[in-house]
Amino acid sequence: MLALALFSWWYGSGWGYVSKKILTTISRISESFSVKLLLNSLFDPWHRITTETGRGLAAHFQAAIDNTISRLVGLVVRIFVLISALLLTVILLIIGAIQLILWPLIPPAIVVCIILGFTK
Amino acid sequence: MIKSNNIDYICLRAKKARLSNILNLQLAHFLFLLSILSIIGGIFIIGYYHLHYGYFLISFGLLSLILGSWAQWDLNVLPVEDQTLSGRLSRDILANLKKTDNSPKKVFSSLAKNWQSYFLINHLYLSPKLIESILSDAPQDLEPALKKAGLVASSNPSQQIEVGDLLVGIFLTSQPLINIIIQAKLNIKDIEEINEWLKRILLMANNKKQNFGGVARDWSFGFTNFLNHFAYNISQEIIDHGSNFGWLTTSKEVLNIEAALANGANAIAIIGPPGIGKTSRVYALAQRLIEGKTNNKVAYHQIMQLDASTTLANAQSSGALENIFNRIVGEASRAGHVILFLDDAELFFNQGPGSFNASAILQPIIQSRAVQFIMAFTPENYQHIRSNNSSLANLITPVLLSELNENEVMNILEDSATGIEHSNQCLITYDALKTAYRLSGRYNDQEAYPGKAIKLLNQSIAFSKDKIINSLSVESAIEQTIGVKVSSAEPAEASSLLHLEDQIHQRMINQTEAVKAVSAALRRARAGIANPKRPIGSFLFLGPTGVGKTELAKAIASIYFGSIDSIIRLDMSEYQQVKDIDRLLSTGNDTNSSLLMSVRHQPFSVILFDEIEKANPNILNLLLQLLDEGQLTDASGRSASFKDSIIIATSNAGAEAIRNQITQGKQLIDFKEELTNQLIEKNIFKSELLNRFDDIVLFRPLNQDELAQVVRLLINEINSNLEHQNITIQLSDKAITKIVQLGSDQRYGARPMRRALQKGVEDNIAKRILTGEAQPGSQIVLDEQDIDL
Repeated sequence: MLALALFSWWYGSGWGYVSKKILTTISRISESFSVKLLLNSLFDPWHRITTETGRGLAAHFQAAIDNTISRLVGLVVRIFVLISALLLTVILLIIGAIQLILWPLIPPAIVVCIILGFTK
Repeated sequence: MIKSNNIDYICLRAKKARLSNILNLQLAHFLFLLSILSIIGGIFIIGYYHLHYGYFLISFGLLSLILGSWAQWDLNVLPVEDQTLSGRLSRDILANLKKTDNSPKKVFSSLAKNWQSYFLINHLYLSPKLIESILSDAPQDLEPALKKAGLVASSNPSQQIEVGDLLVGIFLTSQPLINIIIQAKLNIKDIEEINEWLKRILLMANNKKQNFGGVARDWSFGFTNFLNHFAYNISQEIIDHGSNFGWLTTSKEVLNIEAALANGANAIAIIGPPGIGKTSRVYALAQRLIEGKTNNKVAYHQIMQLDASTTLANAQSSGALENIFNRIVGEASRAGHVILFLDDAELFFNQGPGSFNASAILQPIIQSRAVQFIMAFTPENYQHIRSNNSSLANLITPVLLSELNENEVMNILEDSATGIEHSNQCLITYDALKTAYRLSGRYNDQEAYPGKAIKLLNQSIAFSKDKIINSLSVESAIEQTIGVKVSSAEPAEASSLLHLEDQIHQRMINQTEAVKAVSAALRRARAGIANPKRPIGSFLFLGPTGVGKTELAKAIASIYFGSIDSIIRLDMSEYQQVKDIDRLLSTGNDTNSSLLMSVRHQPFSVILFDEIEKANPNILNLLLQLLDEGQLTDASGRSASFKDSIIIATSNAGAEAIRNQITQGKQLIDFKEELTNQLIEKNIFKSELLNRFDDIVLFRPLNQDELAQVVRLLINEINSNLEHQNITIQLSDKAITKIVQLGSDQRYGARPMRRALQKGVEDNIAKRILTGEAQPGSQIVLDEQDIDL
C-alpha cells in the first residue's frame, strides 16, 4: 500500500511540487536581482551622483557631461545585472525542464539499471 | 478498518505519518547525499572500469533519491487531505498515536515530548506528570476532546489540527484538569490564549524568508555618509536581523502614517503617552517600506533615527547646529529615500539639559519639503509645541495613538515574552504575563500599555527562580521597585494581619471600636477582597481632641506601610477658601506640598485630612470623587491615584455630644447613628460625604486609667530614646497618677501629657545625666516627689 502511495505521489503531487519549486526559484531570482526596480530605473544616474548646473555655458556643458556619464555608468551596471539575471533564469529554466522531463523516468530507470547490471 | 473516536488509525495518511518516524528529515538529507554519491560512483565505475556493477549503484542512488524526495516533500509535510479527523490531524499527532485504545491520557503521554506540548504545559506552569495522573484513560472520553480540538483548529489557515489544538481539546474536556488550572489562578480562556500564542509562533516559523528588494534596491538612491554619523538606520537593522513586527505593520496608525508620507506630508507627529508603542510603530512602518509592500512613492525608503545627543554634542553653537542640520537634510534630500525620525522629538524643540530648541532651524527645513520627518511626541509635549509655535505645529500632520485593548496588549506581551525568553534563556509562565498586565495597570500611571507591562516583565527577570518567571517574580519586581505589598500574605504576615488589633494596641490605648474597624479594612485589602478601584480604606474619625485619632493614623502608616513617614497630613483649616482648591490640586514643580504631588510621589500612604469640618465645602466635594473613584484629576487632565492609600479624615465635630453621652454612661455604638444625623442636620457634613466613608468611627474621651496607660507608653518611648546610653527609667504608680492629674485636660484629652512628661520626667533625667548621677547601666525610679511640674 505504501509503495503504491509512493508511486501515486511521484507521478501526481510530487511532480507538481517539483514544478512549483522550479517556478519559485526562478521568481526568487527576479527578486534577488531587483529586476523590476532595475527596469524602472534603467536610465537613472548612478546613486544620484549628479553635478549641479552652474552659471555659464561651460558649466552647463560640464554638468550635462557629468550627469550623462553618471546615467551611463548606471545603465551599464544595470544592464549587466539584468543580463546576469536573464542568463541565470534561462539556465534554471533549462535545468528545471530537464528535471521535469527526467522526473517520471527515474522509477523505470531503476528497473533498467538493475536489468543492465545483470545483463551486461 | 480500525476506526474508533472517528480516527482511522490505519488509513494511508496515518501509515505515512508513522513511516515518517523512520524516514525523518535527517534520513531524507542523508538519502539525498547518498543518491548523489551513488550515481556519480556508478557512472565512474561504468565509464572508467567498464564494470556493469556500476548500474546497481546508479539504481541504488535513484532509489535513494526517490525515497529522500518522498520523505522530505510528502511524508514529513503531510498536508490536510480532507475534512475528516484523520485527514486534518497533523503529522506529529498521527505519527505518535497508538493503533488502538487511545484515551486522553494515552494521547497526552504520546505527545508529551513534542515541543508544542512543552510550550503549552510550561506556560501553564503545570507538571506533565500531574496532568497525566489526572486525565481519563477511558477511550470514549477522547471523542469530545477531538471534537473540541477540531473546533479550536478551525481558525487555522489550513484547518490542520496541530498538537497544541489537540491538547487544548483534551484539557478543556477534562473537568478535574480544569479545576487544577483554576487553582493555578488561570482560566479556560487562558489555555486557548496560550494556544493562539503558539499558533503565531508556528506561523512566523513557516513564513518564507523576508525579501528586501534585492541587490539593486539602493542603486537609484544617493549615499548618506555624513548622515550615518548622526543617525541610526532602523531599516538597516530590519534588513540585518529580519525583525517581524507582525500585525503592527498593518495597524490603522501605521497605514495612516504611510498614506500621509505617500501624499507628501512634510512632517508627521506620532502622539501618545510613553510606552504606547510610538517607536514600535515606526519600526513596523520601516519594515513595510523596506519590504516594498507599499505605495510606490515610498517603497524601499529608509527610516533613519536622528540621535539628539550626538547631534547636539557636535554643535558648539547655534550656527554649528544649523550647519549640521543643513548638511544632514541636504544629504537626506539628495539620497531621495531617507525619512528622518526624531524619537523624543521634544529634545529638538525644548531648551533644557540634553535638549536644544532647534525650532528656528527645523521649521524652514520642514517647510521646504526637502526631506520628510516623523516625530514622536507625548501629548503634553505636542500641546506645548502647539501653544508655543502654532506655525510649526501647522506644518505637522498629527497621528494620535489610542491605547490598545486588553486582548491586543496581551498579544504584544506574549510576543515580547517570546523574545525575552529567547534572549535570557528563561521561561515566562502565562500567569506572569497576566500579573504583569494587571499590576503594571494598577501601579504605573506614568506610562501606557503595552510598554509598562513589558517593562515590568523585564524587571521580573532579576526575581526569577531557576530561570522561571512566574507571578511571584512579577510581584517581587513591583514590590521591590515601588515598595508596595502585592503578593498574597505569607503565613507570618497572615498571622500578623490576624492579630492587627494587638499590634495597634501596643501603640495606643483603648478605642477598641476604631481599631477593630480599621483592622478589618486592612485585612480585606490584603486578602484582595476590597474594591480595587477605590482607596484601600476610608474612615471618618470623630471625637474630642487628644483621644488618639492621629495616633491611630500613625499606627496604621507604621504597621501597614512599614514606616511612620508614610503619612500625608493636610491641615484642612488651611483650605478654607475656594481658591485653595488650586493649591490642593496643583501639579507645578513650585508647589511640592500639593496633595496630588505628594500622592504621586508616595502613593502607598495614609492620607490624613485633619479637622475636615474646617475645609471649604467645595473642597469637601472633591473628597466625594476621591472616595468614589479613587483618583483626582488636575487641570491638565492628569490623574493621581489614591487606590493604594488609606484615607482618614478627623473631626472634632460632635466632640461635646460624645463627651456628654459617655458621661451619662452610654456606649459609643448606642448613639453613633444619632450623632451622624445631628451632624447632617446641623449642616456640618453632607450626607453624601458621610455615606462614602467605609466607616464613621467614634472616639471616646479617655478615663484616668487609660490616661495612666498612655503615660506608660510615653515612658517606653523615653526609654527607647535612652537605650543607647544604657539608662532606664521607671515611674511609681503614684508618680504616674500625679502626671495624669497634672497633664490631662477635659478639653485636650491626653494631648498635654507629653508636655507634662517633658517637664516632670525628661528635665529631671537630663539633669541627672549632666551631673553624672545617672551613669550607663543606671535604673532610675521616679516617685511622686520627684515629679516637679
